[in-house]
Amino acid sequence: MKTIHKLFTSLAIILILVSCKDQDVEPTEQKTLFLRHKGADMPVWVHGNAQSNKIVLYLHGGPGDCAMCYRYYFKELENDMMVAYWDQRVAGASSGKVDSATLRYAQFSEDAFYVVKLLKQQYPNAQIYLLAHSFGVELAWQFLTTNNNQQMISGLMAVNGMFSYYRWLYHVREWALREAKKQNNAEAERELMANPVTLENTATVNWELIYRWMHKLGGNPVSLYDDKKYLANYAFASPNTALAQFTHSKAYSYYGEVESRLFEKGALLKNIRIPVRLFWGVKDGIVPVEVGRETQQLLTNTSVSTVEFSQSWHEPFITETQEFNNAVRSFVK
Amino acid sequence: MKNIHLSLYLMLGLLILTKKNTQAQSLRISYYGETISHYGLKTAYEYPLFSKIKERNQSLKMLLIAPSAALYRHPHNHLGIIIAPELIYRRIGKRGTLLEAGIAPAYFRYFLEGSTYQVTANSELERIRYAGGNAFLPTVFVGTGRALSVRRGLSFDWYTRLNISQQRPYNTSALNRFSLEIGAIFPFKKQ
Repeated sequence: MKTIHKLFTSLAIILILVSCKDQDVEPTEQKTLFLRHKGADMPVWVHGNAQSNKIVLYLHGGPGDCAMCYRYYFKELENDMMVAYWDQRVAGASSGKVDSATLRYAQFSEDAFYVVKLLKQQYPNAQIYLLAHSFGVELAWQFLTTNNNQQMISGLMAVNGMFSYYRWLYHVREWALREAKKQNNAEAERELMANPVTLENTATVNWELIYRWMHKLGGNPVSLYDDKKYLANYAFASPNTALAQFTHSKAYSYYGEVESRLFEKGALLKNIRIPVRLFWGVKDGIVPVEVGRETQQLLTNTSVSTVEFSQSWHEPFITETQEFNNAVRSFVK
Repeated sequence: MKNIHLSLYLMLGLLILTKKNTQAQSLRISYYGETISHYGLKTAYEYPLFSKIKERNQSLKMLLIAPSAALYRHPHNHLGIIIAPELIYRRIGKRGTLLEAGIAPAYFRYFLEGSTYQVTANSELERIRYAGGNAFLPTVFVGTGRALSVRRGLSFDWYTRLNISQQRPYNTSALNRFSLEIGAIFPFKKQ
């Protein structure tokens, strides 16, 4: 029994030591919140400078991606502001028992409303900014063009994301065609020419073919898996559930086949009154920079600025981290 | 939910029905975790249902039932409790090499590690204490180790085990999980 006792004591000491690590000292905020809504338990991790009274709420892409997994790149921002990393329903480390019928723009927007409300409740004096990437930009437009939601937000930073499925696919095809010509890829050129994108055929055109060629032609060669330090951080230091990331995408078939194809916010962008900054990796084929330029033209009733990242594709915060974070800081200050 | 009840009833039933035999029972204590950063403890009480020594190579074959409980922490995510009736086939070779495989229809209870707010019917946010969920966690495992009692005369064996589980429900479907156990088995009586 002595051996058992010793073993128990040693394990208890190890557990206590491990659980004591990574405790930030005030005034640095380090809070884990969960929003429970319509079957989903969605984590919101708030980290950073609590005295700044500024919160950047990160709206991750995907759908089905994760927020905290990108903290590796945004962590430096936490010296100057709080960053709220929210995992959307059926994404990242979100859990619960969720009906796949809730995976709709309207529901994501409703979730975002309550996340913002929760942050306002927790930090009543803080200004909230949205930092939206890719699908997160779709979510941001949905949220900001619904009811009076934009009154809750001090500004939007939109990173390589679309406002209209039609305009998006149109520009992806144009991008791929340009690259096919540049790379003398006759097969790509032929197939892309055979699949023109028009407003009328947006819901039926073979988008996967266009998307596949875009990738083959180098639309986004950046892979997180190439960064060993990032992977180690993801596996051992992030609160994500290791294998969950690979289960989410299966739930989004309706989004891919129906919901996203109907997405059109172009006409509503004139209603946006909060400051907007567009961040764009100019080499991106996934959401080409032309989408960003059209977005700017449609935002007629607010101040819009654009920061283009010449060495970046779809995730400028990965490829030009320092420049990206500086641009966030200058927008939020 | 039906599966969760089933696993709990199964464990209770096995505990009651397992006759107190004269063969060795043992206590198992181990580290339990998905990685080193999702750490925990597991304990189990092993009852042999059947055991046989093969004359040809002097290997011991056992069929064990082991009610087990694991507690682990996934920091900033959840605290998990896993309760399972394990059915284990174990072979201990002449030189003490331990090999095992088994199944465990486990009950999984988790508590979210953070302040949880639920949206009420009035669109307000209401704090919920001890928020979490229940799930069925069917598990299969394989393990290896060494029975130190065989050659070294020590009163315990060490083992390591890989568990492959599926959490149901998880979001819209299920989640596959891998976890590792490294620990010791302490027999109460010499066999």
